[in-house]
Amino acid sequence: MSASGEKQNPAFYALLVALVVMSVGPIALMLATSFKMNVDIYDESISAFFFTPTIRNYETVLCNVLWYAPEHVDYCDPTFGRALGNSLVIAIVSTALTLVIGCMAAYSLVRFKFMGRDTVSITTLMMRMVPPAVLLVPVFGIWTFQFGLDQSYAGIILVYTAMNLPFVIWILQSFIVQVPIQLEEAARMDGANPMQVFFMVVLPIIKPGLAAAAIFTFRIAWNEFLLANALLGRSTRTVPVTIVNSITEYDIDWGVIMATGMLLAVPPILFTFVASRQIITGMTAGAVKG
Amino acid sequence: MPKIQLDNLVKRYGNFEVLHGINLEMEENEFTVFVGPSGCGKSTTLRMIAGLESVSDGEIYIDGKPVSGLEPKARDLAMVFQDYALYPHMNVAQNMSFALRLQKAPKSEINAKVKDVAKMLGLTDFLHRKPGELSGGQRQRVAMGRALTRDSSTFLFDEPLSNLDAKLRGQMRAELALMRQKVKKNMIYVTHDQIEAMTLADRIVVMHGGYIQQQGSPEELYKRPVNKFVAGFLGSPPMNFLDAELKDIDGTLCVMGAGFQIALPDGYRSRIPASANGLVTLGIRPSDLTYAPEAEEDQSFDLKVVVSEYIGAQSVLICDCAGQKVEVELKSDTPIALGKQLRFEVNKDAIHLFDRETEAAF
Repeated sequence: MSASGEKQNPAFYALLVALVVMSVGPIALMLATSFKMNVDIYDESISAFFFTPTIRNYETVLCNVLWYAPEHVDYCDPTFGRALGNSLVIAIVSTALTLVIGCMAAYSLVRFKFMGRDTVSITTLMMRMVPPAVLLVPVFGIWTFQFGLDQSYAGIILVYTAMNLPFVIWILQSFIVQVPIQLEEAARMDGANPMQVFFMVVLPIIKPGLAAAAIFTFRIAWNEFLLANALLGRSTRTVPVTIVNSITEYDIDWGVIMATGMLLAVPPILFTFVASRQIITGMTAGAVKG
Repeated sequence: MPKIQLDNLVKRYGNFEVLHGINLEMEENEFTVFVGPSGCGKSTTLRMIAGLESVSDGEIYIDGKPVSGLEPKARDLAMVFQDYALYPHMNVAQNMSFALRLQKAPKSEINAKVKDVAKMLGLTDFLHRKPGELSGGQRQRVAMGRALTRDSSTFLFDEPLSNLDAKLRGQMRAELALMRQKVKKNMIYVTHDQIEAMTLADRIVVMHGGYIQQQGSPEELYKRPVNKFVAGFLGSPPMNFLDAELKDIDGTLCVMGAGFQIALPDGYRSRIPASANGLVTLGIRPSDLTYAPEAEEDQSFDLKVVVSEYIGAQSVLICDCAGQKVEVELKSDTPIALGKQLRFEVNKDAIHLFDRETEAAF
């Protein structure tokens, strides 16, 4: 860090501005567009950011959730409300499942000595290097023809859990390694059984790790499109799939798509805010002489 | 309170044996201190009693029952760890009550117990703080409080004071001694600090290299060490060792070496085994030498004072005896001139003789 008063290179600021525009720009454009009438969107004489705003797009998207019937909506399409519900169920259940399995697996990889432990640890991470697109065809085949899990919540939740587990195990391993072994010994002396040691002593201490892993997992499960598109049916579709499906050959309602996109962004943001409050450093402060 | 017995206890890590058969019997309500240099196996022994290390061979008996196959929780022991091992996510009260909460004790009982112990340890004002907000001494107290809230039959201490600074250590040592008077329980304490061992113990067990060297009361070990290691380990400043030879001069048994010749009292002759070859190590504690210019030659050392270390009421003189170092502890007001050859009389009843080869005491 530079000392105060020292002049910064203007190019540095230019780079910063460029990066900010690149990351915030699309979101701002999406936000602006979501408040536009369709006529304004296609009219090149209307500025991107200065126009008469309307909440009609949001009313269209949320029509079956609202307490009133928006008058401009002729037919209320329940797709979005349903998709939002699907997305929430799938993301939350798969995140919970991933964390529960992940923390136990990570704990056993760190604390228990067994043959091939290092191999398991490394191959776990290598699994993560396989792109989901590669898995698409085999998973679709096996899920559909062997287990009949296609179009069901269970099918996609299992896929997401399997997809996220390697990274979660890997991230939690590094947190568990930092838990002093003496704490576990102290808990054992205090009369805790192995499960109690894990749930009452280890888990609370690695909470920051769990939060980080949860944010990561939730975000992936929430945004995933490729597998969801292939594996889910009409009634179990998640929001990303729904958005893409609203682009038809007859009509592209950009305003509604943008409004859906904005609404899609809200839950992960809320979730991240809640979870990131758990990410505090120094969880083990005072535990042992450091 | 139960008796604890170690029967031929062996610990191996792979093919490497660190404890070579420990036999020990601890009486009821006894404060036993394991003392020895780093790596002597004292902590391992304690952890085996606790159940945190497996037993490779031999058996541990608590109250006559073998426990080496039991989990720590089944052994009814409380332990204080060297580096506190406090649960960082719990406050002091929760830390201290953790064991009771696991036992599903009634809330009122838990609160009363925590309050009692906190009062005894001076922690009442800190019950709602997290370990991270406490000083080293307070943390150590919480660690002890956590052990005390449990009504265990036996307390294990694994070098509990070694992380504290010198002043705090002295203070906590005194508090431990005080607590010892209030809590009549078996206590097993591991330390590498011989002062802690001497001040706290009913019974000291000196360990070295995975063997018990000697066990007994502090006084017994200080006055009658069985070998050179124990003699050198206990006592501060440590015992002086001088190479010497046993000789019979005009019917008197004498111990002589470079720069000294001391006549031994009659009692010593019978203690020397017939197999001894006469080569010995003479051991004299620094406090058993006194400045006495008028002393007889065969009862004293002529030492050249090299350095004088002033400690306060006492001073330690580092002297030279024909090339061998000798330390003398005496009152600071004794008139001593540096660099001079002075005469120091030895307390003849406190002369220790060790076989130079086996290092065993005569």
